[in-house]
Amino acid sequence: MSSIMEAAWVIARRDFIASVYTRSFIFFMLTPLLVVGFSILIGFVSARSDMEDIPVVAVIADSETANALDQARAHLTSLTSERAFPLLRRIDAADNVGAQARILLADEDAGLSGVFSGTLERPVLSGPERIDEFVGERMTLLVEQAQRSAALATASPDFRPAAIQRDITGEAVGNLREIRTGVARFGQFIIFFFTLLLATMLLSNLIEEKSNKVIEVLAAAVPLDAIFLGKLMAMLAVSLVGIALWGGVFALTAAFSLQLLPEGVELPAISPAVGWGVYAILLPIYYTMNYMLLGSLFLGIGAQANSVREVQTLNMPVTFLQMGVFVLAMLVVGNKGGILPMIAYIFPFTSPLAMIAEAGQSPALWPHLLAIAWQALWVFLIIRISAGMFRRTVLKSGGELRIMPRLSLGRRRG
Amino acid sequence: MSGGLAIEAKGLFKAFDGKPAVNGIDLQVPRGSIYGILGPNGAGKTTTLRMLLGIIEPDRGSRTLLGRDRPLDAAREVGYLPEERGLYPSMHCREAIAFMGALRGLPLDVGRKRGDALLRDNGLGDYAAKPIKSLSKGMAQTVQLFGTIVHQPKLVVLDEPFSGLDAINQGRLEQLIRDEAAAGTTVIFSTHVIHHAERLCERIAIIADGSVRFEGEVAAARDRLRPQVRLRTRQKDGAWRAALPAEAVQKGEVWHFELPLQGVEPLLKALMDGGAGIEELSIERPGLHDAFVQIAGESAARQIERDQLADLEAAQ
Repeated sequence: MSSIMEAAWVIARRDFIASVYTRSFIFFMLTPLLVVGFSILIGFVSARSDMEDIPVVAVIADSETANALDQARAHLTSLTSERAFPLLRRIDAADNVGAQARILLADEDAGLSGVFSGTLERPVLSGPERIDEFVGERMTLLVEQAQRSAALATASPDFRPAAIQRDITGEAVGNLREIRTGVARFGQFIIFFFTLLLATMLLSNLIEEKSNKVIEVLAAAVPLDAIFLGKLMAMLAVSLVGIALWGGVFALTAAFSLQLLPEGVELPAISPAVGWGVYAILLPIYYTMNYMLLGSLFLGIGAQANSVREVQTLNMPVTFLQMGVFVLAMLVVGNKGGILPMIAYIFPFTSPLAMIAEAGQSPALWPHLLAIAWQALWVFLIIRISAGMFRRTVLKSGGELRIMPRLSLGRRRG
Repeated sequence: MSGGLAIEAKGLFKAFDGKPAVNGIDLQVPRGSIYGILGPNGAGKTTTLRMLLGIIEPDRGSRTLLGRDRPLDAAREVGYLPEERGLYPSMHCREAIAFMGALRGLPLDVGRKRGDALLRDNGLGDYAAKPIKSLSKGMAQTVQLFGTIVHQPKLVVLDEPFSGLDAINQGRLEQLIRDEAAAGTTVIFSTHVIHHAERLCERIAIIADGSVRFEGEVAAARDRLRPQVRLRTRQKDGAWRAALPAEAVQKGEVWHFELPLQGVEPLLKALMDGGAGIEELSIERPGLHDAFVQIAGESAARQIERDQLADLEAAQ
């Protein structure tokens, strides 16, 4: 076993250096930044697009009425959303408001859906006979809200809402469940995201050795298990370099941000069920297990490919396989009991994602020891099977497929 | 028996897609010897070597490598140069040599030092820190050869090592093989170039169509043919003709025939007594090429000549 680890270390070291000391590694390291930047861009474009989609109504009224409408809109959108009410645009009144409204509604640049004029007592909404249902209904709500506010203010000018007295208790179950569900999803997403980036790299990992014919040199010198394990270790190390860098950046940014918080501001008490200390240990372990399980599978699948083109063909099904694993593992979040969550805990490829979610939701520790041992067993089995398949089909070795000294698959030959 | 043998193979059999590639091969390679596996391309040489090294498993038969039943158990004492050369193109020469040594258990720093020394001693010192992709094919092959021997193995296995090398590099490789053997290393190589085997090997196996046609000392292979006699006489006819064997062939004025079993003295006496008037008589010991033709057959001999021609074209 020690010679396998020694050989795996030689392979891993070569692969790690070959991956890290390249210009393309800089782009690899920038991937999270690109993803974040892309997300921000999408969000910005989407927000702009959302704002552009909101109907606009012109308000031709005195400032008191216009202010009342603005306040009513602000109040109602705070209870719902920005998109729930038309945008209001103030326009100075002309001599003939009726004619002005018609001109405005016909103006391509203005792009108005309606024109409000008059006062709160005598409101007028100009627009086509079949005015947009949304605009009509929501403008009515706005006017009514403004009218109610005005009536309330008139009834009692000194009106002040009574302060709500707080009765502080322990954590409410509903809140705690919500927080833990959030932590569970966070852990799953982090592991899924970083593993997803590596899948395609692992698929093509043995193509280099096959095309350079180095595989013959390696196979004559060290066990194939060591080659597979070494390659997995190298890519794990590469990914850990990336995670360490971006984790460090995130930690520094968070620490700096905390310093900038105004005094007295308290952060919400977010904590996984097992506590942050244990969670901080379990997260990298389950990341490693998830990576090793999927990585050994993808390395084994990719090792069967004869060309880069074949690997490219495999990319899409492999990506969807990962999506499927992620979706199945998501079923355990907030869900107690049932056959599918149970499958997610037991099925080797979903087990790490399901168990990190479990760490967020449940304080029990023994299931983690069991799960890690179970997952490690499957890593061992998949590497053995992948290496055996590679020997039989790529090296054309034939012979029996040995998984363990006394356990073999396939027909004994010779 | 294995104590004195670096390699012992018994009845190795391997079929691909139901077609036998190696059909019951027996080999015995003494420790410290230079051993050649000779045969045309497709004869089963590479498959045999791959089975000996454990890269592929035989369907039937057994083999021991340096006394071990599982070839990978002996991997640290073995060096292997495959027929299809393989190096990482971006790796520097020194690192490539050290990496190949590290695969066989040699510490990297020791591998680097030895790699530097090997490159320097062979006029490639300036290339130590240059990537493999910047080398010519012959130089890259030399670097891989250094990687094969950097851990000072007890057994070196070379698959078609002369293929793709020009005459100068072939000469260097021959010397390197002799040096390794002189240091006590067992060297086994496959080749389809007969004169390399003839010049270097103490023992050979002649393989054709997946089976061993001859296994033993080079001299024993040559001894399977009788020495060839060339005779030119002043007299065209006479009693001396009775001294020639029935198979004697006349080409121009020269007679060609195998030396009779009785030896040269009775033949000489009969020719002189018969009044032949000997102008020229030479007795040539058959070369390995002649032995190969006789052992493997005309078809294999023609194939091996075509392989050699293709090699020459590739080297040019």
